[in-house]
Amino acid sequence: MSLPDLHALQGGDEAAWDAAFRWLWPTAFAVAQLKLAPFLPEEVEDVAIEALEVLVEKVREVRTVEELKPLLAGITHHRAVSRLRERFAKKRGAGQTESLDAPAPDGEVKPEPASLESPLDALAERELAQRLQESLSALKPPQGEILADFFLHGLRYEAMAKKHGIAVGSVGVHLKRGLEALRRIWGGREDG
Amino acid sequence: MVERNERAFAMHSMNDERFFNLAMKAIARQDTEAERAELDALMARAPELKQEFERLQADVRTAKDTLPLVEAAQATTGELPAYARGRLQTKVRETLGRPAAGKETSRRLAWGWRWVLGLAATAAVILLVALPRLRAPGAPVIQVAMLDRTGGTRGTDTNDVALLQATLKGSPVRSFSSASELETWEKNWPANGRRSTAKVIYDPAKGEVRVSGYSQGKFFHRIFPLDKDLATTLQQVNTFILEHGF
Repeated sequence: MSLPDLHALQGGDEAAWDAAFRWLWPTAFAVAQLKLAPFLPEEVEDVAIEALEVLVEKVREVRTVEELKPLLAGITHHRAVSRLRERFAKKRGAGQTESLDAPAPDGEVKPEPASLESPLDALAERELAQRLQESLSALKPPQGEILADFFLHGLRYEAMAKKHGIAVGSVGVHLKRGLEALRRIWGGREDG
Repeated sequence: MVERNERAFAMHSMNDERFFNLAMKAIARQDTEAERAELDALMARAPELKQEFERLQADVRTAKDTLPLVEAAQATTGELPAYARGRLQTKVRETLGRPAAGKETSRRLAWGWRWVLGLAATAAVILLVALPRLRAPGAPVIQVAMLDRTGGTRGTDTNDVALLQATLKGSPVRSFSSASELETWEKNWPANGRRSTAKVIYDPAKGEVRVSGYSQGKFFHRIFPLDKDLATTLQQVNTFILEHGF
């Protein structure tokens, strides 16, 4: 799928927006799902659509079409966090926190709302988008996938080497470079 | 988030590489007992490696915080729900102000906005009738019009009318649904040639604001493209009109 024409989008071209919405939807949905799926899965689509509406409002502030996805991801993340906070506040106000802390189907206890807070939530929408864009540029394939496979999906060195067609000995090199890039972009995180 | 400026650990030797891989496996809980013992022995011999291990743990926490979002931002699968398209295109029209594909506009909204626009039109007629009587004889007149082919059903139109009025000294805004009617109005000048008169025409279809008029018996004319947005363009128009003594 070719990238949308930013000038046409900024001019409100209906066909250009149709194509852009199709291109952008997976990002909005995936980011909303990431935050909301454990607690408010029924609101994932709504938050994704809201985020796209906000993106329409901000499209004239954008300089390159490559900025759109990171900006949308930042907007969606913040809207999802706001939605969660609203709901938790309401539940707390009504003394109904129980359902949110109920065990998940796999028996694992869902985290307390406070533990849902991520250091990313403290970043302003623009800053979050900027760092996301830098990350997407820095983690060229297969670097990003290797990092995700190891740290998020629990794959072992041998499995990653096989999956990505690289030598087992070079897996560590990819991990190290990827971690360095993330440290440079996001900075270290002080706990507490 | 706090920036860290510690010196990056570089893998200069096989030992460094071995340490990094052992550390990664330990942090990811993928290490064997033998590997854990080897890592502990390395850190016992070189205390700076203990520090490096802690730094890598912090890096991994950062990676775990950020990678899910980075991954989600690159998602490519999933289809926009059909019901969302109309809502989003309405937002595009309201925000970016291009001609509507009429069918998409919800009927309820349409009726709501017609109501508002009807009131605005009534107010405009009253102002059109009353203003000339209130103005001092010979005072400059600014006439404002816009081309609205959609029949005033969009929220943007109402916003545009308000914006035109607010920027151009509260001048009433005439709305024309056909270009030919607008053209006729545009060329129709008051019989009293001594009175300074300016016509400001907002044409969303062409993406421009046209200004023409007579000031001290001289004709002036200029087209302002909507480069950024209507508000910015109208500020330019306002300055231009002021320069001509209005």
